[in-house]
Amino acid sequence: MGLSSQEIMYRTIIPFLAPVIKDIFMQINPDNFNYLEEIRLRCAQPLLLKTGAQEWAVNRQGGLEKNLAAGYVVCEEDIFRTLISISDNSLYAFEEEIRRGFITIPGGHRVGLAGQVLMAGGEVKTIKDFSSLSFRIAREVKDCSLPLLRHIYQHNMPGSTLLISAPRCGKTTILRDLARNISAGNHWGPACTLSVIDERSELAGSYRGRVQMDLGPRTDVLDACPKALGMMMAIRALGPQVIITDEIGRQEDIAALQECINAGVTVIASAHARDLSEARKRPMLQEILACGAFQTLITLSRRQGPGTVEEIIRWD
Amino acid sequence: MIWIKTLGIVFIIAGFGSYGLMGARRIEKRVEQIKNIRMALGFLEKEITYLQTPLYLALKKTALLTAQPVKILFGESSRLLQDRQGITVGEAWEKALQKLKPACDLNQDDLEILKAVANQMGSSGIKEQIKLFQLIQEELQIQEENARDQMESGRKLWSYGGFILGTMVVLLLL
Repeated sequence: MGLSSQEIMYRTIIPFLAPVIKDIFMQINPDNFNYLEEIRLRCAQPLLLKTGAQEWAVNRQGGLEKNLAAGYVVCEEDIFRTLISISDNSLYAFEEEIRRGFITIPGGHRVGLAGQVLMAGGEVKTIKDFSSLSFRIAREVKDCSLPLLRHIYQHNMPGSTLLISAPRCGKTTILRDLARNISAGNHWGPACTLSVIDERSELAGSYRGRVQMDLGPRTDVLDACPKALGMMMAIRALGPQVIITDEIGRQEDIAALQECINAGVTVIASAHARDLSEARKRPMLQEILACGAFQTLITLSRRQGPGTVEEIIRWD
Repeated sequence: MIWIKTLGIVFIIAGFGSYGLMGARRIEKRVEQIKNIRMALGFLEKEITYLQTPLYLALKKTALLTAQPVKILFGESSRLLQDRQGITVGEAWEKALQKLKPACDLNQDDLEILKAVANQMGSSGIKEQIKLFQLIQEELQIQEENARDQMESGRKLWSYGGFILGTMVVLLLL
């Protein structure tokens, strides 16, 4: 089993917070960390915690308040001290991450950054004068994908599958667990060699090149690698039977997907769309669905908590 | 009685002379220490700009390769930063400088240049860090050259001056 929610907070999140906010968090009742999904630090705004659909302000004594005005107001110094803590006072080592808008910290948690964006040559050069930080807490929910495996496997091998849902419905958590189960082997099929193309460092939560999540014993991770490029690299160099990647939907992804399918590699991916009809309204996703790359489509929601399976469609 | 007087004269001249020699040594040491700081900052720059080593680790590695008392500056700031107490580079560097000050022979100008580094170290991209280190190296090079010039003239002044002053005091007392 992975760390409990409280262990995650005390070991991998709280040490990175500015001293004042750290003191506040140490006073919060640990039970409140159980369903915590996000911590929001916005300059001159109350300190917020997000648990599921609910949002709470945290007061100076660590109490949770529905009234946002009662929350501790985060100051510029809190943002700065938290930022230097998550970057180890070494922003030069996180230039690429800052350009992408987030820094991954040990434990695989992502800290989203907002501030003044500087552009150069039509691309983001850097972000400066940071005004808000958003801690998105990564959790491993082991075996959460078990009920889906029988729908994904065909003839002892996983078939290409697309997971769709609105944001924060558990796509990444399920993909991570699928990687672990497929890599290790399970009731529905033998172990497979697997490559994870983790463009946003979310699936593996890599920190300085080291994978923070358990993705199974036969998994290779291409961290921070563009999906289309990563899929081709993996086929050429890593010999995967299965490729797992997050949030496809760009033109170049379609060509890479077809390459994978033609090379006999199974692709399991996710995309943002509430349901099939919404996916079909997105031109790129419509094209991906039309090319016949996927045999199974799974729709997720938060109706009964993150990872609720709404619909499974098989096209074989 | 004459023996006591002679002994007193010897003590006074030896005392002033030793103080003068110590002063001369201090001037020599300042040059050596500025040179050591420049070399250490050169190593730190490579760690930051080429290897992108986290700052606390880069400072620690620099301390390992640096002689005393300059080692104190890098070792102490690394120690303060690695505990992740939300402490800034500026604060850690300032505290390390306070610890270095009584143990070194640097003058206030040298220390001010080092102090100015802290607020920008680690807090920008690679290109900006390279510019920062170049600037510090230039400023420290000027300080080192000045210290060398002072050493040439100052060493003799302090070495002979101590004994001459001692002799003058003896003459005045007689």
